[in-house]
Amino acid sequence: MREHAHKSAEDPATRGQTRSHARTSDVEPVLQMRGIRKTYPGVVANDNVDLEVYPGEIHGLLGENGAGKTTLMKILYGLAQPDAGTIEIRGRPMVLRSPRDAVDAGVGMVHQHFMLVPDMTVAENVALGFRTERYPLTDLARISADVKELSSVHGLEVDPAAVIEDLSVGARQRVEILKLLHRSAEILILDEPTSVLTPQEWEDLAHVLRSLVAEGRAAVFITHKLDEVMAVADRCTVLRDGAVVGTVNVADTDKASLARMMVGRPVVFRAAREEVKPGAPVLEVQDLSLVDGSGKTVLADITFEVRAGEVLGVAGVDGNGQAQLVDVLTGMTQPTSGRILIGGDEVDRLTPAGFRRRSGGVITEDRHKTGLALDLTLRDNLIMRDYRERPLSSRGLLDLASIREHCLNLIRGFDVRTPGQTIRMRQLSGGNQQKSILARELYAAPNLLVACQPTRGLDVGAMEFVYSTLLRRRGAGSALLLISTELDEILSLSDRIAVIADGRFLRILAADEADAETLGLLMGGEG
Amino acid sequence: MRKLLLNGAIAVGPVVAALVVAAVVLAVAGAPPLEALNALLSGSLGGRIQLARTLSFLLPLVLIALAWIIAFTTKRINLGLEGQIIVGGIVATLVGLHVSGLPTGAHIVLGMVAGGASGALYAGIAAWFWAKRDVNEIISTLMLTLIATETLSWLVRGPMQEPGVVFPRSSEVAETSQWGTIVSNSALTWDILLVPVAVVTVAFVQSRTTFGLTLRITGANPTAARRVGINTIRTNSLALLLSGAVAGLVGASLIFGGETARMGDGFSAGFGFEGIVVALVARNNPFGAVPAALLFAILDSGSGLMETRVGIASELVYVTQGLVILFVAGTAYLYTRTRRTRVDASDQEPARAATGVEMAGTV
Repeated sequence: MREHAHKSAEDPATRGQTRSHARTSDVEPVLQMRGIRKTYPGVVANDNVDLEVYPGEIHGLLGENGAGKTTLMKILYGLAQPDAGTIEIRGRPMVLRSPRDAVDAGVGMVHQHFMLVPDMTVAENVALGFRTERYPLTDLARISADVKELSSVHGLEVDPAAVIEDLSVGARQRVEILKLLHRSAEILILDEPTSVLTPQEWEDLAHVLRSLVAEGRAAVFITHKLDEVMAVADRCTVLRDGAVVGTVNVADTDKASLARMMVGRPVVFRAAREEVKPGAPVLEVQDLSLVDGSGKTVLADITFEVRAGEVLGVAGVDGNGQAQLVDVLTGMTQPTSGRILIGGDEVDRLTPAGFRRRSGGVITEDRHKTGLALDLTLRDNLIMRDYRERPLSSRGLLDLASIREHCLNLIRGFDVRTPGQTIRMRQLSGGNQQKSILARELYAAPNLLVACQPTRGLDVGAMEFVYSTLLRRRGAGSALLLISTELDEILSLSDRIAVIADGRFLRILAADEADAETLGLLMGGEG
Repeated sequence: MRKLLLNGAIAVGPVVAALVVAAVVLAVAGAPPLEALNALLSGSLGGRIQLARTLSFLLPLVLIALAWIIAFTTKRINLGLEGQIIVGGIVATLVGLHVSGLPTGAHIVLGMVAGGASGALYAGIAAWFWAKRDVNEIISTLMLTLIATETLSWLVRGPMQEPGVVFPRSSEVAETSQWGTIVSNSALTWDILLVPVAVVTVAFVQSRTTFGLTLRITGANPTAARRVGINTIRTNSLALLLSGAVAGLVGASLIFGGETARMGDGFSAGFGFEGIVVALVARNNPFGAVPAALLFAILDSGSGLMETRVGIASELVYVTQGLVILFVAGTAYLYTRTRRTRVDASDQEPARAATGVEMAGTV
């Protein structure tokens, strides 16, 4: 806002040529938020935040988790009331008490987790909460026609008669956008829209967004990923600790300086990987298949090995069998067929306890659902793995003194920020929760580590920590299986990369022959 | 310290509020509230015999609350404690009637152990169905209670009825299987000593043993528990069995330490349900079960005198109990809700969450 408030019309903006957003200072902002303040008990989520969005621009809202992005957008969408500050839409002051007020004012939001009814059709979902002239009856025929028209105009390919649960994630997101367009939203808020998309779907989304703002709408794009802001946004407002660090023209800045604004210090993007000569295979998997209870093949003929001192990355779009692969490899599920060898020994019937006995560690995909007991204390969570063994307990009695000391070491060693050991896990931030899992799973130096989405929901600072911790394990000779939907993560950490789609390993590439594009095409099933 | 006070206020506040509302109800029903309260208190605490009766209610109420807490540590809901009491009581009665030649102590111990074991087995039926056939334990334990109730009703009118009387009751169990009374001519027997022992044991096992932690992890997140190598099916089943064992023990104690030392129809007197309410009021804290049980014991024990002296139906006591439950459940909701918002806030702002939480924690 301050330094480079407006991009002047004659700005060469090489990358900006395709985007219609050149503004002169006489264009009025479509949205002005001024001096927004919001506190929750004990925290200031937004502190004197200003945000100006102009028609025809894609405005990035960048910040680490917890920087206050979501709070700000909740306020704009009427889901939270600010303690102080004003909101003006098209120059008129607004009080937004509910999402309905926001929708009436032309604000629409695509939530990170879609708000669609899975067993209804696209048209029915669009019709939900929308009054036609025939109210209280619906007018599905008209809505279908509207949806068809909107989707052809904006390149949002969707069949209005399709049932949501049959649609891909990308298509569902298009439905969400159609919903907003159908309600004539002028200001589109997209909350972390790319977390579920393949790179190609993301390209499509960027294209759609550009065509939407070209018609005079504005889009606010919430993200913590710098590449996305660089690729699609015209301007970008950076939040840190609830306050605005600055608003910049994306064309005038670069990734490194955005990162510095976001984190408050220089950030290293590529984790430094030392040369490690891979040793003997630690995990070998041969022709592994899994048929689930409903008879569907979720894993098919998977064969690979991971050696000591090696990271095997598994790239793939969410929901292509990654979760089941982790479950089978860690003993939570028995495979239908195939062989698993750990440390050279064939394992007949792997159990979670057996996996751990064979020096296995696992970082699960969803820490809340499967990694932690949120209602127990940090201490209980830290000792969950080993409390049945000495020195944490003897003869069935917990040894509180040694538990305290053990936890203190873990908290220090893994930099868990906590006021104490007996705090409920639920009360820690996502980053600190993840660090406690790392502490629990890694302190015993496992030979084999299965890590699924180890940085999901973490901010840049915590991500750096996770990466360096994982690579330290690699340096120390552990075998790592890294399963992730984040290509950057896969590319910067892996020695070899497998691509999983529909429960199959499509190919295993050496890191130096893989790039984001190749992987993206494979992930989309076009390899 | 402030946290302790806050928790204390959350525990006591709703009870006080419920009593105030109950007083209003009494006034509306035409009884002078203070006089009614006076009658309630003198009927429960006013004399040696009254006090003894009130205290004798502590054992079933506290132990059943503990039984509930044990199962609920793994999030299993044992609604069939009443049935497990009955089965424990039946088996203890059989031991008391038909085993002879044992010294007093051994006879009591044998009967109590048999009662506990049979309560465990009875809960074990529900545990087995839960583990093997995924049958909801809430339903199965409740249905098993119906079976136990009707079986008892038949036994005391049929095969186990005292010969030569019309009352639905068994003969008196052998002298050697009766707990001695602490206060003569009352139901307060030495088995009351089981109360502190059981409370401390449950609290200790929960917080200081590996088994207790296994129970707590299983209850807090079964998937995470499985991931760290806990056999959750076994743990849950074991929790149900132990819960049933404690209930069976209560059944045995109601016979061996009862006023009449015989098994009558309905000897379990609803303790299997009232004890659950005690656990609710105690918010599943083993130590909290004692004061909570005392409150209910006073209400149960004093209602008779209230009826005769003030002319208020003793059923009004149930109104009071109902109010206590309502208020406690209501505040539990408020309590979790305020905690939620704190968590939301810390989700917003992990960068400062530690300090925020610290503040929240010391409120």
